[in-house]
Amino acid sequence: MGYLDSIDIGASALTAQRLRMDIISQNIANINTTRTDKGTPYRRKLVVFEERSPSAPFSTYLSESSKKIIGKGVRVARIAEDESPFKKIYEPGHPDADENGYVFMPNVDIVAEMVDMISATRAYEANVTSINSAKDMAMKTLQIGK
Amino acid sequence: MLEKIANRIKITEKALDAAWLRNEAISQNIANVDTPGYKRKTVEFEKYLDGALDGFKLKGNVSNEKHIPIGRIDAEKLEIKAVSDNRGLDYRIDGNNVDIDNEMASLAKNTIRYNMLVETLNAGLRRIKSAISEGRR
Repeated sequence: MGYLDSIDIGASALTAQRLRMDIISQNIANINTTRTDKGTPYRRKLVVFEERSPSAPFSTYLSESSKKIIGKGVRVARIAEDESPFKKIYEPGHPDADENGYVFMPNVDIVAEMVDMISATRAYEANVTSINSAKDMAMKTLQIGK
Repeated sequence: MLEKIANRIKITEKALDAAWLRNEAISQNIANVDTPGYKRKTVEFEKYLDGALDGFKLKGNVSNEKHIPIGRIDAEKLEIKAVSDNRGLDYRIDGNNVDIDNEMASLAKNTIRYNMLVETLNAGLRRIKSAISEGRR
C-alpha cells in the first residue's frame, strides 16, 4: 500500500479509456474505407483490457503486508482486430467492385461504435470521480492534529 | 485515562488505514470495470473489529504486563485484509463481477467514513491537548 496509489490506479484507467476512445474514433473514421495496406477493406479494431497486477517483490508475498496488495490499475494488453466477415453490398459503379458488382465494406457497425463510445466516456468519468475522492481524502489527512 | 484515549486513537488509526486501503480497492474496481475476467476486490476490517468488540462485555483488570487483556481491544492485533470477491459470477458474460453503481456508492460512503474518522481522531487529540493545558483552552 503506497501513499496515493489510488490516484495512479485512476490515472492508468484514464489512459486506457482514452486509448479505447482513440480506437473507436479510428473505426468510425474508416467506416467506408475499402483500401488498406493489406489489400483488404478496413477491419474494425478493438482494445483488450488487462488488470495490471501488483509488481511487489517476492519477499512481500511472504510477509504480513501481502494482505494489503490491491493491484496497479488497468492497462491495454493489445489492440486486436475484429475477424468477423466484411459487409457485402451491391454497387457496380464502385472502383473496388468485383466482376459481379459487389463491394466488400469494413465490418464496422456504427451503432455498436456509438454505444461503445458512451461506455468509454462514462468509464472515464467514473475514474475522474475516483481520483477526486482520493485527492479529497489525502487533503483531509493533512487536517489530522489541526 | 490517557491510556484509554491513546488506545482509542490507535483503533481509529487502524480504521483510517482500512478506509484508505478500501479506497484503493474501489479505485482498482472502477479502473477494471471493462476488464474481462476481473474479480472485484474488497477490504475486510469491520468484521474483525466486530469480533474484537464481542468480548467487550467482560472486563478484566490488568495489573501485570504479562496479563492477557480481557475486554479491551488490542489495536495492534486488528486485521486489515484485501480479498477477491468471487460472488455474482452470473452478473456479466465476460466473467467480470464489478457493478459500477455499487462501486460509486461505496466510494462516496468510504470518503464520508474517512472524513468522519479524521474528525474522531482530531477530537481525541484535542482532548489530550486540553488535559495537557489543564483545561485552559
